[in-house]
This record gives sequence, C-alpha cells and structure tokens, in this order.
Amino acid sequence: MKPLMEIKNLTTRFHTQDGTVNAVNGISYTLDHGEILGVVGESGCGKSVHALSIMRLIQIPPGEISAGEVIFDGRDLLKLSEKEIRSVRGREIAMVFQDPMSSLNPVYTVGFQISEALILHKNMNKRQAKERTIELLDLVGIPEAGSRFNCYPHQFSGGMRQRAMIAMALSCEPKLLIADEPTTALDVTIQAQIINLVIGLQQELGMSVMWITHDLGIVAEMVHRINVMYAGSIIERGLVDDIYNNTLHPYTMGLLGSLPSIDEAPGKKLISIPGLPPDLIDLPPGCPFFARCTYREERCAKELQELENGPEEGHSVACWRWREIQKMGVS
Amino acid sequence: MNMETKVLLQVKNLKKYFPVSKGLFTNRQVRFVKAVDDVSFDVYDGETLGLVGETGCGKTTVARTILQLYHPTSGQIIFDGVDLASLPENDLRKMRRRMQMIFQDPYASLNPRMTVGSIISAPLDVHTDLNRSEKQDKVQDLLKLVGLNPDFVNRYPHEFSGGQRQRIGIARALALSPDLVICDEPISSLDVSIQAQVVNLLEELQDRIGLTYIFVAHDLSMVRHISDRMVVMYLGKVMELADRNEIYLHPRHPYTKALMSAVPIPNPRKARDRQKIILKGDIPSPLNPPEGCNFNTRCPLAQDICFKKDPEYREIEPRHFVACHFA
Amino acid sequence: MTEKTPVLDDLTDFAVREHRSLWLDAWRRLISNRTAMIGLIVVAIFVLSAVSAHFFWKYDAKMDLDYGAKLVAPVLRVSEESPEIHIFGTDKLGRDIFRRVVHGGWNSLRVGLVAVTISLTIGGILGLLAGFFESTDLNRLEQSLLMAGIGLSLGALPAWIARQPIQSLLFALLGVASVSTPAFLENKSRLRRLVFGIIGLLIGALSGIFVGPMVALVCGVLGLGIGLLLAKPVGGKVFSNIVMRIMDIILSFPSYLLAIAIVAFLGPGLEKGMIAIGVVGIPIYARLARSAVLSVTQKEYVLAAQSVGEGHGRILFKHIVPNILSPIIVQATMGLANAILSAAALGFLGLGAIPPEPEWGAMLGDSYKYLSSGAWWAVLFPGLAIMFSVLGFNLLGDGLRDALDPKMRV
Repeated sequence: MKPLMEIKNLTTRFHTQDGTVNAVNGISYTLDHGEILGVVGESGCGKSVHALSIMRLIQIPPGEISAGEVIFDGRDLLKLSEKEIRSVRGREIAMVFQDPMSSLNPVYTVGFQISEALILHKNMNKRQAKERTIELLDLVGIPEAGSRFNCYPHQFSGGMRQRAMIAMALSCEPKLLIADEPTTALDVTIQAQIINLVIGLQQELGMSVMWITHDLGIVAEMVHRINVMYAGSIIERGLVDDIYNNTLHPYTMGLLGSLPSIDEAPGKKLISIPGLPPDLIDLPPGCPFFARCTYREERCAKELQELENGPEEGHSVACWRWREIQKMGVS
Repeated sequence: MNMETKVLLQVKNLKKYFPVSKGLFTNRQVRFVKAVDDVSFDVYDGETLGLVGETGCGKTTVARTILQLYHPTSGQIIFDGVDLASLPENDLRKMRRRMQMIFQDPYASLNPRMTVGSIISAPLDVHTDLNRSEKQDKVQDLLKLVGLNPDFVNRYPHEFSGGQRQRIGIARALALSPDLVICDEPISSLDVSIQAQVVNLLEELQDRIGLTYIFVAHDLSMVRHISDRMVVMYLGKVMELADRNEIYLHPRHPYTKALMSAVPIPNPRKARDRQKIILKGDIPSPLNPPEGCNFNTRCPLAQDICFKKDPEYREIEPRHFVACHFA
Repeated sequence: MTEKTPVLDDLTDFAVREHRSLWLDAWRRLISNRTAMIGLIVVAIFVLSAVSAHFFWKYDAKMDLDYGAKLVAPVLRVSEESPEIHIFGTDKLGRDIFRRVVHGGWNSLRVGLVAVTISLTIGGILGLLAGFFESTDLNRLEQSLLMAGIGLSLGALPAWIARQPIQSLLFALLGVASVSTPAFLENKSRLRRLVFGIIGLLIGALSGIFVGPMVALVCGVLGLGIGLLLAKPVGGKVFSNIVMRIMDIILSFPSYLLAIAIVAFLGPGLEKGMIAIGVVGIPIYARLARSAVLSVTQKEYVLAAQSVGEGHGRILFKHIVPNILSPIIVQATMGLANAILSAAALGFLGLGAIPPEPEWGAMLGDSYKYLSSGAWWAVLFPGLAIMFSVLGFNLLGDGLRDALDPKMRV
C-alpha cells in the first residue's frame, strides 16, 4: 500500500543577520497510513522545523524551504498555493503544540475555538458545530463537556488544555496528527493520561500520528517507528524495537546511554556525550556528529554518509562505520 | 548507609502558607495557598535526598523555605542542631555559607549584566575578606572544578550554552564550600545528553568534596539514579519517604505506585509489558485541597475514611514512612 | 585562609562562542537600522549646532534689534536692499532668524536634558523603591526609615498649621517607634492603636498648646489620626500602592495643562519651565521603573543573590539597576523629544522662555500673526527646527528600543 506521506530531500534554511541557519538538511522518509512515527532529537536538531515545513508554517522570510518534496496523499504540499495549503491544514493534517496556553486564544472560549474549525472546514452551522464540539470534548476525556464548552482556556488545567487542543486537532478527522512535544510541559501522571488518550484515539480513528519529542522513554512505549535526528539530518531510522535493542548510530547509543533507566541497576555512571551540538550556521562538511563521536575517523569529517540499510528490514543508519561498531559489540 | 550517620538537617512539621490577600490598603487575608502543609523529614550528612512530586506539590517551596528565602508559617528547620528561625539576622547570614542552592533555569539564574567571574565571586565578596587576587584564584579553581575553561572569566552568561551556564551556577554554589547544596530542578531545562554531563559532575563533586544534596526534580528516573533516599510529595504533604530502591520496587502509597508506573521506560518491550496505572482527573489546586486525604480525588483505592480523615504519616517499616490509611 | 579547591581531572567543556559584549551587539543592531541612523544623524546635527553656537557664536538677545530690517524674506546674497545675508530671513524685530533658531536649539537642548533628568531621577528612584519594597521583605532599618518617612510627611500637616516643624519630627520618631515596639504589644493590635493614638494626640495637643487652645485642639485631633495610622508598620506593598496612586493622580491631568499650572505657580522663565516639564514626566518613569523592577525581581538570579546572603543595597545596585537600564534609556530618548515639544508649547503661549531669549516656541508665538501678511519664513523655520529635532529623537528612541531589546540568543 502506498505510504500516506513521502518526504524527499526536504531542506529548510533561515537567513539571519549572523548567517544562514541550516535547520533541516535534505531529509527523506515515508510515513504509512495508521502508523505512529516518533521523531526524536535534542534541541536544534530540526525536528520541529521539519514539521512546520510540512505544514508550510515557516515564516518566509527569514525562512526558506529551499528544496525537497512533501508528497501527501498524492500531492506535493510544497507546490500548493496558499489557498490550497490552508484547506489541508486542519482538515487533512492537524498539529498540536507544546504549550497549550499559548496555542489557545485566551479571549475566546474553548468551545468557540473548536467550533470555528468545524464551521470553517466542514461547513457546519453553529448548532451542529456545537454538538460535534461537545462530542469531541467528551471523546478526549474532558468531564462535563457540555458546560466546559463555555469555559475559557485559563479555566482549564494544563492537561485539560492539551486535551482541548487534541480535540481541536481531531475535529476535522485529519489523516495525520502531528504532535510537537505535546507533553513536555505536563506532569508525569498527566503525561501518561495524554499518551494513553492518543494511543486510544489512534486505534479508534485509524489516523497516522507523528510524535515529536526529545524523550526516548515516551517513544519506546507508543510508537511503531522512530526517526532519530541530529543537526538537521536523520541519522538513524527503524522499528522501535530495532532502534533500542540493536542501536547502530553512535549518537543514538550515546543518547540511550545518557538515560538512567528506571529498571537497570543504579549506580552506573551515565554515559555522557562530550561537547556541544554543532553551530547550524557553520555546519562542517561530512557527518554533523563528527566532533563528538568516539568512533570517528578521517572519512567522517569529509563525507556525509547517506542513510543505508542496516541488518533488519526498515532499519537504516547514516554512519560509515556501523558494521565495525556492531562487531565491537557495543550496544 | 551507616545508621549512626549524623543528621545534618531536620525539617519538622514545616508549613508555608501564602496569603491571597484582598483589599487595597489593608492586608485582609482571605485565603491561603497551602504550598507546604506539615512536612517532616531528616537529611543525613553526605547523602542525596531526592524530593519529587508534580505541580503544586510544594517541593520548590520546601527547598526555598529551608534556605530561609521564605519565612516558614510554622514548623522548624534545624540545621546542624541550630533552629534557623531563631537566629538573628547576622547569624543567619553567616549560616547561609553552609547551605547553597542551584537553580532551575540556567538562563534566568545568572545576571546577564555581570561577568562570569563576578557572578562566581559574589558569595566571596559577601562572606569573606579575601583580597582581589585571592578571589581571582579561587574563581579560577572553581571554574576548573566544574569543567569550564578558566580563561573565560570575563565573558558574559549569554555567551555560554545552557549546560555551561548550569555549571557556572554550580561553581557559584560551591564558592563558599557549603555543607548542603539544594538542587532545584537543575537539569530539567537541559538537553538529554547535557543532563547526563551535569549529573555526572554533581556526583563526582559529591565524592570529591563531600557534599550533601537535596535533589528536587520531577524527572523520576534521574532522581532515582542520583538519590539515596526519596521523598514523594503531593499537594503540600509528604506521601512517602523511603530508600530509593524501596520506593521503586516496593512503593506503598497509591500515588507513588501511579507515579512510578507513569515514568516512561526507554525499553519498548518492558514498556509494553508493564501495568500502567492511569490516574483520573487533575491535580487539585493548593488553594482548595480536598477534605481528608489530599489524594482522595484521584486515588483508585479511596474509601469513606479517606474523605473524612487526613491519614497519619507513620513509619511502617524501618526508614520507610507512608501517609495512607491503607498502606 | 582558603582550603585548596580540588580539581577535576578531565576538563570537558571548552567550547564557547566568539566573544561579543552585550553593548557591542546592541550597537551593531542599531547601526544596521536605517531609520535609527537617520535619527542619530539628525540628533547629532542638532546637538552639535546647539553646542557650538552657544560657545562659539556669541549672541546677546537683548542687544539684537534692527528695526531697519523688519520681516525681510530669506536673502542668500548681499545686495542693495539687504546689506546682510539672512538665510532664514528676519523676524518682526529685524533679528536674523537663522541665528535665533540655532541659539534656540541650545535652549531646547537644555530644557530637554534638565527636564528629563528631573523626571528620570525622581521618577526612577520612586519607581525603583516602590517595585523593590513591594517584592522584598524589608529589614528593620528599612522599615524604620519608611515609617519615619511616613510619619514625617503626615506630620507636616499639623506642623504647618501650628508652624512648629518639631511636630513633624516627633511624628517621624513615633513612626520609628512603631517598628521597634516592645514585645508585649506584639499581637494586641487594638491596644497598640489605642496607645499610639493617645501618644499622637498628646504630641499634637501639647505642642499646639504653646500657640493657642484652638490650634491645640486641631493638632490634637490630627495627631490622634496620625497615631492610629502609624500604629502598625506598613508593608512595602502599602508604600508602593501609595506612591503609584500619587503617580496616577499626576497622570490624570493633561500634561500640558499641568505644566502650565506649575509654571503659573512658579513664575515665568526657562528654568521654571524645565521644572514644570520635569515634574509632569515623573510618573512615566516611576511606572516604567517599577514594572521593570518587578520583572527583574522575579528572576532567579535575584533569588540566588538573596540565598548567598547579599544585602538589599547590593542587590539593588548590582542586580536590579543594571537590568532595568534598557527601557529607561529608550524612554529617556523619547522623553527628550517630548520635553522639547512641551517647551515649545509653553514658549508659544508666552510661558517658559522670557523674551527676548530665543526659543523656538516663542518664536512661533511671536510670528504667526504675520503669516497672513506673507512672512512665511518667520513661522516655517522655527517650526521645522522643532519638527526635525523631535523626529530625530523619536527615530533614535525607536531604534534603541529594537537594539536594546534583550532577546537572549540561545
């Protein structure tokens, strides 16, 4: 079956006073129908920027999507007109952001904001929109949805606001839900509730989900596949089990090693990756992880390795030395 | 841990209520935010005590009240045998040398208009009478101690990354060689790989210099890694206090159990296999804590008595304290 | 005697960005802003011409009269009719307008600087104290000073009535006493109020008795009231509230009318005008300073300073003041523009600069009646001078706001 979305060589840059920031550098991957994809990386790796590029929400200028294709359901989103992309946003692809307080307009009721999307995209009248909105609020687990319709965002707690955002995102039954760090600002128990909710909704509605986060723990329990990003490139991809059990890229290894596992024996010193992420303005040629990699060699500084297929199906890695590293038995 | 280890800090029945006042010129206190509501625990010399909880649990308020940045509403804070509230201002100032804090936000905890050198030497200016070159030497030593290049003494905070700024904050906290360092969410604003660097640094410093830490955080797996014992707080009260392994392997309080099960595990198979306890509802507001046990609005085990009577905080096993009617 | 600090073995973190000071960054941003540069150039021209005119091109306004050359249109070359060059023409008294405009610039500059200095210093300090007291616990010394100040100001009323300044002082002392009350009065607020009320009554009555029975009665009653108010030490919040409400009251007057009223009270003259404009501007800086202080005291570095044990003075001067400078600098620049405009307004109405002192507004005021007879130059050039100087400062101020905006580069 054809994938829902295919991204080819997506490249996004920002032109600033200090130089050109290479935020996303030619990434390519596919997303299937009904798949939950985790996009993982630290700050500055380009995960949020690439999602905004898909939605064409990058401010141009100073931003510029300088190359690539985003084939969604047969159409290249990057080539659509303003009007056409606006009808895609919200209706076919919906996005949920990190800070629900600033994503909801504080001067309108929550109910109004959700109904707005319905009236706009689904041509409902006010009454129908209200009914549907209350259904949605109920679906995302907001108690007393009927009376909550008239509440303002500040009257909701953080978790409830995020649920309201999800309700808004789902209102037009999108094919793809992009969630950009939706639970980072929430408490652990509330985070568990939201993750549970999204998994449940995904199964019920059959949509695809892209979950962007820096938390490798969250993705372990909820996604099917993972893209690991670093400095604007995808450096490893694969099924979630393969990534964790047979990690190939030194950065992913370092990242997993930095995490104290709740299950492992404590007392082991954490493996920290020395140094800092590279300056996106001054990206060196070759592998972006070169300066911090324990396995680096000359070739890594000069040429960037493309993603090549690893031992398992669907598992690919962008590293010259992954076979040797595997042989060394470090994982 | 040695049972005869000296107790460095005792927190006894600590309460901190923040008044929400009304009235233009008067201070009529209408309501209170019960940020900390009768908290007691001890901190042993040389240990790392983890203090965890979610929004509104009061952990940051406890930390700041210990340092006397807030005046306690009632209760005692006894540091090395001395009741801090009873100290006159001058003596309290001297006591401050012995307990310092590392703050959460590396971008807001350093004065952007001061050089790194002056930031670190500020405690030395206040408490010691070292001359200028002695202070400069000390600052250089401290920078090296936290793994920063001492040549950058005259740079400003905005020239450093988040992790480096946090190291500067650590250097500042260590300037006076304190006994106790309270770390208030020191790594939550940092990237994952940098978090590991900073945590390793903190542990190494503890071994080298002999520090006692109170580690306040909401990232439970990191707290478990670094702590010897843990205190779990909810809505201003202590729910459970025990050795770290006990908390993780044998939690007794329903909240602790739910909390542990909610922590993401970076291991797909284990994550899928484990039993997740999903709590219903939201955390109540500290302005209006529920009657009876604070956790009764979300507790899967709540019964009649939980809505009427506040559970007693008692030691159910040696060194394991719980506040629940059914533990 | 410091203990040797142990050193870690491996230094991991050497990577730091290229060195750039904050001010240099701001300067770069300012230079790259074209409109700000225009503003800067205009301001520079204005300042340079005003200063050099004052020191190098002597001008005695009183001696400057030439009835022979009244209202001559701009003349660029010497000719039969006009033996002298008048680039901007002459006014109704034959004075060269160009010369008066340039010298008027010096007066405008002075007014601007003095007025803004007054507003900034008084308003800034009030706002700083209000914000600081509101967000920090006051120590005993500060509380005593605060209560003394309140006692002093409240006591000024009976002191003025009885013409006995000593009353003010006595009430100040009463204020201090309120902070250092003996312990047994700690929690009994009714008793305290009673005691303080009685003491206040006695101060007023006993001092007033030396003047007369009526005065003694009035001062006694006032003293009773003051005593009741002073009984409990007020918090910083009350102080801040009172100060800001007074600022609100000043702000509720239309600024020009208030300035006129002050000048009417003080008398004419450029110096009085400076004071008037300065006073009118105080609340703006007070509000600005207070809100800037409040946002800074929320920051963790202030909390860190407190946890280290830094005193209030050190926190104020090392942490708070340097971080509130940016918005104040921007406001001061725009405030200069405003002051120049206000001075011109006052001058136009005949208040402010005393003739024959050259002042742009006054020049406008003198000459606008001749507009209908065709003497456009007498009105245009002073007007343009006002416009360009105000525009220059405004553009510069806008540019400064963008340049100094502390957007942390992550």
